[in-house]
Amino acid sequence: MSTDRAATPPSLTSRRTLPPETVRKKDVNRRRMARLGWYFSTPALLVVAAVTIFPVVFSLVMSFSNVQVLGSGFQLSGLTLGNFHTVFGSVKWRYALGFTVLYTVVTVTVEVVLGTMIALVLEHLRALRGWMMALLLIPWSLITVISAQLWNYIYDPTYGAADAIFSAVGLGHPVILGSNASAVIAMMVADIWKTTPFVAIIVLAGLVMLPGDVYEAAEVDGSNGWQTFWRITLPLLRPTIALAVLFRILQAFGLFDLPFVLTQGGPGYATTSLAVLGYQAMFTNLSFGPGAAVAVTTAALVVIGCILFLRVFRAQVNEGEES
Amino acid sequence: MRKRTMGHRIGLAIASALTALFVVLPIYWMVSTSFKTDAGVSAPSPQWFPNPISGGSYTNAFVDNSFGRYILNSVVVAVAATIIVLALGTLAGYALGRLPMRGKFTTLMVLLMISVFPAIAVIAPLYLLMRELGWLNSYQALILPYAAFNLPFAIWILRNYFLGIPREMEEMGRIDGANPLRTLWSIILPMALPGLFTAGVFTFTACWTEFLMALSFNSSNDFRTIPVGIALFGSPHITPYGTLFAASTVAVIPIAVLVLVFRKSVVSGLTSGAVKG
Repeated sequence: MSTDRAATPPSLTSRRTLPPETVRKKDVNRRRMARLGWYFSTPALLVVAAVTIFPVVFSLVMSFSNVQVLGSGFQLSGLTLGNFHTVFGSVKWRYALGFTVLYTVVTVTVEVVLGTMIALVLEHLRALRGWMMALLLIPWSLITVISAQLWNYIYDPTYGAADAIFSAVGLGHPVILGSNASAVIAMMVADIWKTTPFVAIIVLAGLVMLPGDVYEAAEVDGSNGWQTFWRITLPLLRPTIALAVLFRILQAFGLFDLPFVLTQGGPGYATTSLAVLGYQAMFTNLSFGPGAAVAVTTAALVVIGCILFLRVFRAQVNEGEES
Repeated sequence: MRKRTMGHRIGLAIASALTALFVVLPIYWMVSTSFKTDAGVSAPSPQWFPNPISGGSYTNAFVDNSFGRYILNSVVVAVAATIIVLALGTLAGYALGRLPMRGKFTTLMVLLMISVFPAIAVIAPLYLLMRELGWLNSYQALILPYAAFNLPFAIWILRNYFLGIPREMEEMGRIDGANPLRTLWSIILPMALPGLFTAGVFTFTACWTEFLMALSFNSSNDFRTIPVGIALFGSPHITPYGTLFAASTVAVIPIAVLVLVFRKSVVSGLTSGAVKG
C-alpha cells in the first residue's frame, strides 16, 4: 500500500527540473502508459466483475424481493423486508449464527495457540526443519471433503478407530456424531487437525524473520526462556499472528464443506453453519428469498468483521506487510 | 544462540515427534484403510495394519466406479483455470504495479474485498446464470468462477513481485524499441517467476479442493470433480470407505507432489497474505 505512494515522487521531482517541452512529452507518454494499464487490466477485471460483482448485487436484490419459484425459473416481485424478517425471527438462523461464532472462536483460538507452540518447536530444529515444514503442508493441501470422510470413518460408532480407543480406556461406546455436544467437538477436532499446520507455518515464517540480536540482549539481561517468550518473542510476533487470525476468521465464517459431509448439519441442526443453512434454504427447500437473506447477512458480517479487525489491528498488519 | 542442554534436546525431540504423529496418523489411517479388504475396513476392532494387504479398493474405485473420470475432470478444470489466472493476472498485476493508472489503490482494495467474500453469497445467482447459459454440468461452469475467485489473490501476489523489479529493466526494453507487451514477456516476466509459481500453486490447490460451486453446478456423474465424487459416493446408510480412501489416496498424490516441489513458493505465498487455505 505504501509502495504506491513511494512510486510517484521520483517522476514529480524530475518533472520540476526538466524544460517545459520535455514535460509535455512526458505527460503524453504518461497518459499513454496509463491507457495501456487499463488495457492490460480490463480482461482480468471483467472476469472478476462478471462472476462476483454481478452475483453479489443480484443476491442483494433477491434478498429484498419476493421470490417465486416457477417451473421455468424465478420471478422477483416487489421490495420487501420479509425475507430478513423470516430469517432473523427463525430459531435455526439464530442457532446457526451462534454456532458459527462459537466454532470460529474456539477453533481459531486452539489453532493459534497450538500452531504457535509447534512453530516454536520447529524453530529450534536444524536439518529436520525443512522436512517438518513439508509435512505440515500436506493437511493444508488436503481436500476438505476427503478429511471430512476420513474423520467420519474415525468417528464411526461400530468400526471407527476413535470408538476402539474410547472403549479400550473404559469410556464405553459413545456415538460421537450422535449427540449435539460431542458432534460439535468432533467437528472442531477435525478442523483443528487440518488447519493448525497452516497457522504453524505462518507463525514459523514470522519467527524466522525476527532479528536475532534481541535474543542475545535478553540473554545478557539474564531472562529465562519463558520471560523471553512473553516479553520479546510474542510482542514481535503480534503482526504475524494477527494476520493468521484474520485469515482463519474469514475462512471459518464460510464453513461449509466439513459439516456438509461429516454431519449434514446434524444431529438435528446442531452443526448447521450459516453457509450450510443458506445452501439448504436455497437448494433443498428452494426458498431463495430467505436463502439469499442468509447469504447476504453472512457476507455482510464477514466484511464488517474484516473492517473492524483491520481497524483494531491496522498498525500490526501493516508492520507485517512491510517486514 | 541459547544453550542446548541434554534435557532441551530430548524435549525438542519429543515435541517434534508428537507434531509429526499428530499430522501423519490420520493420513496413515486413510492410506492403510485403502489397502484393506472390505472385511478389514469394517472389522469391529480396527486393523492397525492392513491384513491381508489388498488392492481391491483401487480396482473398485477406478474400474467399477468413475473416480478416474472425476480426477480427469478436476485436472481439466484446475489446469484451465490456473492458465487463465496466470495470463490475465500477469497483465493486471503488471499494470496495477508498474503503470501510472489512476484509481489503482481503489481497484486493489475492491479486489481484496472480493477475495474475502464467502462463496455462499454468490452461489444462487451464479447457478441461475449458468442455467440460463446452459452451462450446468460443463467444464466452463467451474473454470470461469474458479478463475474469477482466484484472480484477486494472484494479481496481489504478482503485483508485489513486479514492484520489486528495478525500473531500469523496463527502460532497457524501451531503448531497444520493444513494445510494452514484449518487454513484459521477455524481460519482466522471467524476473517474476517465483511470483508466478506462487500464484499458480495457490490457484491450482484452491481449484483442486473447491466443493460448494462444484457441488451446485456440476453434480451429474460425468462432470463431478473429486470433492463432489467423494462427497456423493455411496448411499446415506452405507459409505464404502475402502473405495473412498483408495480414490482419496490417488487424489492426494498430485497435489502433495506439487506442494512439496514448490514449497518455498507456497510458504512465501502463505506469509504474504493467503486468504484461501
